[in-house]
Amino acid sequence: MADLLLSYIALAMILFSIGFLGIISRKNIFIVYMSIELMLNAVNLIFVALGRYNESMEPQVMAMIIIAIAAAEAAVFLSLIVVLYRNKKSLNSDIFNVLKQKDTANG
Amino acid sequence: MVDIIFLGLAIFAIGGGFGMILFSQPMHSAISLIVTLISLGGIFALLSAPFLFMVQIILYAGAIITLLLFIIMFLNIRDDELPDEPNKNITIIIGAILLIPFNILILKAFNTFPEKSMNILGKDFGSIHSFGMELFNKWLVPFELISMLLLASLVGAVVYARKDKNRDG
Amino acid sequence: MDNFLLAWIVLVPLLSSLILGTMYLYSIKVTKIPNIVFSMFALTAPFISFVLGVSFFFRLLENSDVIIYRAYKWLSVDGYDIDMGFMADQLSIFMVLFITFVGGLIHIYASGYMKDDDGYGKFFFYFNLFLASMLLLVLANSPIIMFIGWEGVGVCSYLLISYYYQDSENVKAGNKAFIANRVGDLGFIIAMITMFYYAGSNGFDYINLELGMANVPVEVLSFIGLALLIGAIGKSAQIPLFVWLPDAMAGPTPVSALIHAATMVTAGVYMVARFHFLYDMIPNVGLFIAYIGAFSALFAAIIATKQTDIKKILAYSTMSQLGYMFIAVGLGGYSAGIFHVFTHAFFKALLFMGAGAVIVALHHEQNIFKMGGMRRKTPLVYFTMLIATLAIAGIPPFAGFFSKDEILLTAFGSGEYFIWIIGVITAVLTAYYMFRLLFVVFHGSNYKENRELHSLSKNMTMPLVILAIGSILAGFIGVPLLLGGQNYIGIWLEILNSKALHVEHSIELYLMGLNILAAVIGLLIAYKKFFNYDMSKVPEYTGLIWNKFYIDEIYDRIFVDKLKKLSIFISYKLDINFIDKIVMGISNGFIRSGNVVARLQSANTRMYAFSMLMGISVISTYLIIVMR
Repeated sequence: MADLLLSYIALAMILFSIGFLGIISRKNIFIVYMSIELMLNAVNLIFVALGRYNESMEPQVMAMIIIAIAAAEAAVFLSLIVVLYRNKKSLNSDIFNVLKQKDTANG
Repeated sequence: MVDIIFLGLAIFAIGGGFGMILFSQPMHSAISLIVTLISLGGIFALLSAPFLFMVQIILYAGAIITLLLFIIMFLNIRDDELPDEPNKNITIIIGAILLIPFNILILKAFNTFPEKSMNILGKDFGSIHSFGMELFNKWLVPFELISMLLLASLVGAVVYARKDKNRDG
Repeated sequence: MDNFLLAWIVLVPLLSSLILGTMYLYSIKVTKIPNIVFSMFALTAPFISFVLGVSFFFRLLENSDVIIYRAYKWLSVDGYDIDMGFMADQLSIFMVLFITFVGGLIHIYASGYMKDDDGYGKFFFYFNLFLASMLLLVLANSPIIMFIGWEGVGVCSYLLISYYYQDSENVKAGNKAFIANRVGDLGFIIAMITMFYYAGSNGFDYINLELGMANVPVEVLSFIGLALLIGAIGKSAQIPLFVWLPDAMAGPTPVSALIHAATMVTAGVYMVARFHFLYDMIPNVGLFIAYIGAFSALFAAIIATKQTDIKKILAYSTMSQLGYMFIAVGLGGYSAGIFHVFTHAFFKALLFMGAGAVIVALHHEQNIFKMGGMRRKTPLVYFTMLIATLAIAGIPPFAGFFSKDEILLTAFGSGEYFIWIIGVITAVLTAYYMFRLLFVVFHGSNYKENRELHSLSKNMTMPLVILAIGSILAGFIGVPLLLGGQNYIGIWLEILNSKALHVEHSIELYLMGLNILAAVIGLLIAYKKFFNYDMSKVPEYTGLIWNKFYIDEIYDRIFVDKLKKLSIFISYKLDINFIDKIVMGISNGFIRSGNVVARLQSANTRMYAFSMLMGISVISTYLIIVMR
């Protein structure tokens, strides 16, 4: 089992799907953020598994870079959450809809 | 033996993931996510990536999620401030059904790869030394660019989180 | 000297008109610019063009080769190029000379005539543009470039005829001129397309067309000739498209002078002469042109005998004289036709300017029977008008005699005696109605003696004198050999003339005598009836001729009413009930569907992600099925 590529891919896909489900189902903006992190990790897993499969170091470097970007994203995203919470006193992602299309007057 | 370890880690990872999207308290979700991330670190180790294993534990579980927890506690959200999520479970079920074809597609694609042993390789592969040689020989410029990116996000975070003088009455 | 100066003959008035237009806008929007600044530009432009024209004239005198200047490639369609090209040969330079000379004098006259007008700058903007268009028409090296000038002349005539746009009648007159010209333009366009199709494959300038025409079947040539003729008729106001010309008198008098003498109406004659290589091959169409010209001449002369508006009389006389020119060019006597264009430019410009001077002096009175006795009040105008009237009536040695004589000689020599008879009758009528005008306006008895006269500025009288001298001398460039002269104009334009006329000298002499006799008969009748006309009674004219043979009414009944009904049907029935419904339906449909689709932009990120998921799902299912 552990020496099959497919099992790693399957695990990664399950985690990726869970992340996606989190994004579409949860309103809590923290959970949305964590789901994104989970999806990134699923992709990392695929990278590393393929690197092992091809006995190449490059995918590991790629995964490392993704982790670094995730760190950068964390800093921005979390500060954004703080600002949004301070302005709206809410964590509900659905109320951040200032770009909504208003109905035009003539129909 | 390796199979059992893999299976255990996989169950922990998936369980943590489900926990993350199902708990309504962000704090619980974050702790579930840490479980998942640590399990994934273990799987990295199984895949002959000891350096990434360390980075995953230290950086992800140790730094990023800790930061997240810190922010959650900093905001100190009460239960009644959490958003109402009545359709959560039904959306998850519908989403899961819709995601099945996608998963099948990807797995079918990887199924065409020839079978190959995925045993743990010798100590050189994935070690800090070989990883460093790879990173600083072939990937030096992207690595430096990452540093720029981190700096930019740092500045961005500071600008966002600064107190708005005009609005803060 | 360089060929590019050829382009500057056209460019100088064009640039000047653009400068004038800009300055005029500046003067009405920002600060007022004094009239002297406008006249400085407006009056120098024709002068510069004239000087350039003279230089080219001398160059052609030394070396008779055609001068061609290709400025740049104007159109390039699939490897077929049409250049913005200018061509100076004997014909076009001759036209340029008198257009710029007479046109320049009319400019000077207009600077006096219009000096109290608010739109002084605008007027000269149109005027210079008119001149530039006409020069482009004349100097073009291909029908397409000629068409630009042709249309430019049409637009400017529209602008100038409806210059006093505050009165809706004038605007209607402008519209009429423009629409009648459009009918002619259609003929020109059809002719150009046919020419291009049959003979344009090696290039579309006149030289290549002349070569290409040789292999075209004669039926096609006739068709092209007739289509071109429609264009010429429209511009030159011949039967049946002449209706615009009398109405064009709505414009200021200098405009009438410019349209009738130097520009516009001569364009049709010029075009027939320019396409002489075409008409030489189809003498039947040429004969048809001559008949149209003859009937137009007679028809206009008859109407002119009963008109009372001084400018309308002159307008019909122009149409009549243009008929003479068409007789000449139709019968292949191109040099005779162009000669008459040339002399006509002098005396017709003079007549209009004189009429304008009288009109101004009498505070815009145009009815000749309310004038009378102007001889004492404005002796200079009387004297110059007398010269012009003698010239147009064909009394030797004034200009009109020689050219008219040559035209009638051409008609006689070609064996077209019917046309010749019409020509002689028209000559009698011409003398009659012109002297009627002269006697009634300047002589008469019982006129109101003490009238306040508006003073005439020097700018208005000076061109009269120059043109009077021109009307006396212009004929001498074409004195027939018989009288011991030299027909310079015939020699200059001999490339055009393909036919040699053989008329016995004795007969030629008889014809000449007959022409003089015809003019004198007309003069005497007019003298008897109008020399001491009692101005206290204004004649009441009725009947067919006074009403211009009801041509306008007939056209109204046949064309205008039907078109109006069709327009009403289209605009009130078809447009509102059918086209508007479709167009508005389509646009409303887009608005509605847009509003529906806009609702998808809910600003709900989770919804977007969910839609994305649905898309992924569908595509994945499809791929699984396909890749099975």
